[in-house]
Amino acid sequence: MNDSFLLTILILSPLLGIVLLSIMPGDHRFINYMGVLGTVLPLGLTLIVFSLFDRSLSGVQFKEYHQWFELMTSISPNEPYTVAYDLGVTGLSVLFLMLASLITFLASLTALRIKESAKGFYILFLLLEVGILGVFASENLFLFFLFFEITLVSMFLLVGKWGGFNREKAAFSFLIYNGIGSILLLIVIIVLFVEMRTTNITELTMLLKDTDSLEFLSGSTRTWLFVLLLIAFGIKLPIVPFHTWMVRVHVEAPIAVVMIHAGVLLKIGAYGLIRFGVGFFPEQLKEMAVALAILGVINLLYGAFIALVQTELRSVLAYSSISHMGIVLLGVASFNTAGLQGAVFQTISHGLIAALLFLLVGVLINRFQTTKLEELGGVASQTPLFAGFLLAAGLASLGLPGMSGFISEFLAFLGLFEAMPVIGAVGVLGLILTAVYMLRAVLAVTFGERRTLFDNNRDLTAVELVPSAILLSIIIWIGVYPQVLSNTLQLARTLGIGG
Amino acid sequence: MDYVFLIPMLPLLSFLIILFTRPIYKKAGIVGTLFTGAAFLCSLIVLFSHFAEGNYIVEANWFSLDTVIITVGLEVNPLNALMLVIVTLVSFLVHIYSMGYMANDERYATFFSYLGLFTFSMTGLVLSPNLLQLYMFWELVGVCSFLLVGFYFYKPEAKAAAKKAFIMTRIGDIGLLVAIFLLFWQTGSFELDVIFEAAQAGDIAPSLITLIAILIFVGAVGKSGQFPLHTWLPDAMEGPTPVSALIHAATMVAAGVYLVAVTYPLFSVSEVAMTTVAVTGGFTAIFAATIALVQTDIKRILAYSTVSQLGYMMLALGAAGYTAGVFHLTTHAFFKALLFLAAGSVIHAVHEQNIFKMGGLSKKLPITATLFLIASLSISGFPLLAGFFSKDEILATTYGDGRYVLFAIGLITAFLTAFYMFRLYFLVFSGNSSTEARESPSVMLIPMMVLGALAIVGGYIQTNWFGTFLGDWLETTPYSITFVHHEAPFWLPILASVLSIGGIALAWMMYVRKTTSIKESNERTGLHELLYRKYYVDELYQVVFVKGSRVIAYFWMYVDRFIIEGGAAVITGAVKRFGQAGVKLQSGQVQTYGTVAFSGLVLVLLLIAVLGGYF
Repeated sequence: MNDSFLLTILILSPLLGIVLLSIMPGDHRFINYMGVLGTVLPLGLTLIVFSLFDRSLSGVQFKEYHQWFELMTSISPNEPYTVAYDLGVTGLSVLFLMLASLITFLASLTALRIKESAKGFYILFLLLEVGILGVFASENLFLFFLFFEITLVSMFLLVGKWGGFNREKAAFSFLIYNGIGSILLLIVIIVLFVEMRTTNITELTMLLKDTDSLEFLSGSTRTWLFVLLLIAFGIKLPIVPFHTWMVRVHVEAPIAVVMIHAGVLLKIGAYGLIRFGVGFFPEQLKEMAVALAILGVINLLYGAFIALVQTELRSVLAYSSISHMGIVLLGVASFNTAGLQGAVFQTISHGLIAALLFLLVGVLINRFQTTKLEELGGVASQTPLFAGFLLAAGLASLGLPGMSGFISEFLAFLGLFEAMPVIGAVGVLGLILTAVYMLRAVLAVTFGERRTLFDNNRDLTAVELVPSAILLSIIIWIGVYPQVLSNTLQLARTLGIGG
Repeated sequence: MDYVFLIPMLPLLSFLIILFTRPIYKKAGIVGTLFTGAAFLCSLIVLFSHFAEGNYIVEANWFSLDTVIITVGLEVNPLNALMLVIVTLVSFLVHIYSMGYMANDERYATFFSYLGLFTFSMTGLVLSPNLLQLYMFWELVGVCSFLLVGFYFYKPEAKAAAKKAFIMTRIGDIGLLVAIFLLFWQTGSFELDVIFEAAQAGDIAPSLITLIAILIFVGAVGKSGQFPLHTWLPDAMEGPTPVSALIHAATMVAAGVYLVAVTYPLFSVSEVAMTTVAVTGGFTAIFAATIALVQTDIKRILAYSTVSQLGYMMLALGAAGYTAGVFHLTTHAFFKALLFLAAGSVIHAVHEQNIFKMGGLSKKLPITATLFLIASLSISGFPLLAGFFSKDEILATTYGDGRYVLFAIGLITAFLTAFYMFRLYFLVFSGNSSTEARESPSVMLIPMMVLGALAIVGGYIQTNWFGTFLGDWLETTPYSITFVHHEAPFWLPILASVLSIGGIALAWMMYVRKTTSIKESNERTGLHELLYRKYYVDELYQVVFVKGSRVIAYFWMYVDRFIIEGGAAVITGAVKRFGQAGVKLQSGQVQTYGTVAFSGLVLVLLLIAVLGGYF
C-alpha cells in the first residue's frame, strides 16, 4: 500500500524550519533568511515528487496508507468506520503542489522586508505551507479538511497581525466566511462518510460514478451535496457574492501573504471544485451547468467592471482575480476536455500571474509608499526594469498569446463555445474589459509624466528580480509550450471524463 | 525551403540579443539591421524557390486536446511568400532609416528590440498555416504596435494612444476569436486547409459561414482601421515615425486585408459576407479620404490616407478582386512607407508636424521633396506609377462585379486622394521658407530611395500591357479561390488619370496659385468643422462606450459596496454580537457562573427526563 514516505516527508518538511526558527532568538539578524531557507526544503522535495511522478501511469501515485482510528457506532457495531491517514497525488495535485511550494518560496523572499516580529511571521508562514501542501497531497477528505483548517488558522493570524491598517477587520472577515465554508464542507464530508463508509477521494470518485451506488445516495441528496460543495469552494474561489472577504484580504494582508493567498490559497477553491465537484457529482454538475456558466459570466463581468473604476492598484488586482476565476467556472461548466483543461490551466496560470503582480506591488509599496493610481505615474523612467515586469505581468493577465493566460482562457472559452455558445458570446466581452482595466491600471503606474517626487528610486534589486524573472519565465514557458502542463495533468485519466 | 523557419527566428534573435545585452547599446541598430537584412534575404530566396518548387508546408505537434492534435507550422504559398518579402523588406529599410532617425534617443536599444519583436511576430503571422497560430501572432503584432505607439511613454498623448490602439484592435480580435471557436466546433480543426475543405463541401450551414466570415472580418476591421473601429489608427501616429511607416502603414494594418485574403475561401461562399466587406471598405475609403482633406498634422493626413487606402483594398476583396486587393496591398506598402519615411525626414529636419507652419522645404530638402513627390504621385494614381496600376485594377474589378455605387465611390475617392496628397505636398514643399532645415543623413535617405524606385516600378508586376504576373502567380495558391479577371473598359484608365490629375490641379490652384475662390480659412465652419472633427466619431465613442461602461462600472461598484458588503456586515455583525454576548458571561462574577451552571444543569436534567422516557 505504501510506495514511499516521500509525501509525508514533503508535508512535514516546513516543520524543520519551524523548529529551527523557534530555537533562534527573535532578534537574530539571520532570522528572515532562516525563514526563507525553511521553504527551500519543501520546494526541493516537491521538485523531486514532480520529476519522479510517472506521467505514463494513470491513477494515484506516491500512495501512503495508515489506519488512523476507528469509530464504532451503534448502527453497525460490526463494521467500524475507519479513518485513515491517506496520502497520494494525481496529475492534478502534483501541479498544485508544484505551484504551492514555488510560490511559497518566492513569497518568503518578499517577506525578507518584514522587520516586525519576523520570527513569529515565518513560523506561521511555514505552518501555512504545511497546511497548503497537506491539502494538495491528501487522498482523504478528513485529512483534506484538517489541513484546510490549518491554513485558515495560520492565515487568520498572518493577516490579523502583520496586515495593513484594517487588518483585524480583514482577518475576521476572512475567518467568518471561510469558517462558514468549512462547516458546509464538513457537512458534505460527514454525509459522504456515513453513507459511503469511506473518505478516500479516489474510492469515492469510483463509487459515486457507479450508478448502482444510487442506492446509497439518492439523486436529490447528491444535488444538495453538490450545491453545498459549490458554496463551500465558491466562497474560497470566490464566487460573487461571496467575495468581499477576499478583496479585504488582498488589500490588507502583507504582500508575501497576498502572494500565497491569491496565488495558491484561492486556488484550493478551484482545486476542490474540480477534484470533488467534477469528480464526485458529474451528473449534478451537468444538470446545473447552465447555472454554473451564468455564475461564471457574472463573476467575469462583475469583477472586470468594478476593476475598471478602482482607484487603488491592489483593489484592481483583487477584482481582477474575481474576474479571472469566473473563467475557471466557465471552463468547469462547459464540462468537456477543452473546458476542464482550460479551468485547470487558468487556475495555475492565474496563480503564477497573481503572484507576480503582487510581488511587483510589494516593490511599489516599498519604493513609492503608495498604491493609489492617481499618486503614481511615469515610474518607467526611473525604474524601467520594474515597469517592464509590471507591463509584462499585466499583458500576461489580459491573456497575451505566448503567455500562460492565453492558452488557459482560450481552452476554457473553446470548451464553453461547444457547450453554450450564447453564454460564451456574452463572456468574451469580459476579455475586452480585462484589457481595458489592466492597461488602465498598469499604464497609470508606469506611463505618463515623470513625477519628480519619486526621484532616485532603486530599480529591482536582485532579491526582487530573481523571483520576478522566475515567475515570468514559467508564465512564458507555459504559454509557449502548454503541453508541459497537460502532460502532467492527464485530466481525462484523473477525473475519468472525456475521450 | 527548409530554412523558412529562419525568417521569423532571425528577428526574434535580434530581439533577444538586444534585450539581454545592454552593453552593446549603441550597436543595437546594427545588430537589428543585420538580422532583419538576413531575414529579408531568406524571404527573397523563399520567394524564388516558391517560383521553382511551389507551395510548401511543415507542421509539428504543439498541444493535444483529447484526440485533436493542435499543430504549429510554417506555410509558404504565393500570398504569404509575397507578404514575407514585403514585411522583411520594409522592416529592413525601416531598421536602416531608424539608425539615423532614432540616433539621439535615450531608448535607442529598446526601440530596436521592439522592432525585432514586431518583425518576428509579423512574419510568424504570415507563415501560419492554422488559425490558432495566426491568432497568437495576430495578438503579438498588436502588442508590438501598442509598445511602439507608447514608445514615448512619458507623453500623455502617447499613453492614451497606445491604450486606445490596443483596446480598439482587441474589440476586433474578439470577433476573430469567436470565429475560430465556431470553426473549430464545426470542423474539428484549426487548420486552414481542413476548414476550407469543409466550407466548400457544404459541411457548414450557409448562414453559419456568413456569421463566421463576418466575425473574421470584424477582426480585420479592427486591425486595418476600418470604420467603425478606425479611430485608433490616426492616434497611433504618436509613435516614432519609422514605426508609423512600418507598422501603421505597410505591414500590420495591412494584416486585416491579409486575413480576409487568407480566409478568402470562406468569404467567397457567402455573398452577404462579400458585400459586407465591399461596402465597409468602400465606405471607409471615402469616409477617411474626406477627413484627410482638412487635417493639418502631416502624419495624421497620412494616417487617414492609410485608412482610406486599406478601405480600397477591402473594397477590392469584397468585389471578388483577390488579385486587385493583394496588388494594392503591395504597392501601397511601398509608397505609403515612403510617404511616412519622407514625412519623418521632414519632421526630423524642422521639428514640426503642422503643415501650415511649413513651406518651401523643397529647396532645403531636395531629395526628401523629390521622393515625397514620387510617392504622392504614385498614391494619387498618376499614370504609369505603381499606384496607378493597382488602383485601376480595383476600379476595374468593382465595375466588373457590377457594384456601380461602390465604383463611383472609388472614383471620387481617387480624386480626393490626389487632392489631399497634393494639398499636403504643396503646403510643405512649395513656396518660400524661412525655417532652418538640413537634409537628412544618407542612412535615412537611402532606404527612402529604394522605396521610391519601387513606388515607380512596383506596378509592373500586374498590368494588362506587359502581363499579369502577380495574378497568374497568386493563382497557384493551394486553396480553391475563384479568380475573376475583369478586363477594364478602355475609358477607365483615362477617366482615372483625369481624376488624378484633376485632383492635383485643384490642389495646385488652391495652394500654389491661390487663384480659386475656394480657400481654406482658419475659421472652420459647417462641413469643414465636421470633417476637421472627424465626424465627431471619437466624441461619440467617448460618450457612449467610455462613459457608458464607467456608468455600469460605478453602478456595480455601489451594489458591491452597499448591498453585498452591507449583507456581509449583517452576517459579521450577528456573529460578533453572539460572541460579545458570550463575553459578557465571562464577567468574573461567581454569581453569574453559578446561575449559568445551574441553568445548564436543570436543562440537562430536563432533557434526560424527557428523552429518557421517565415521564
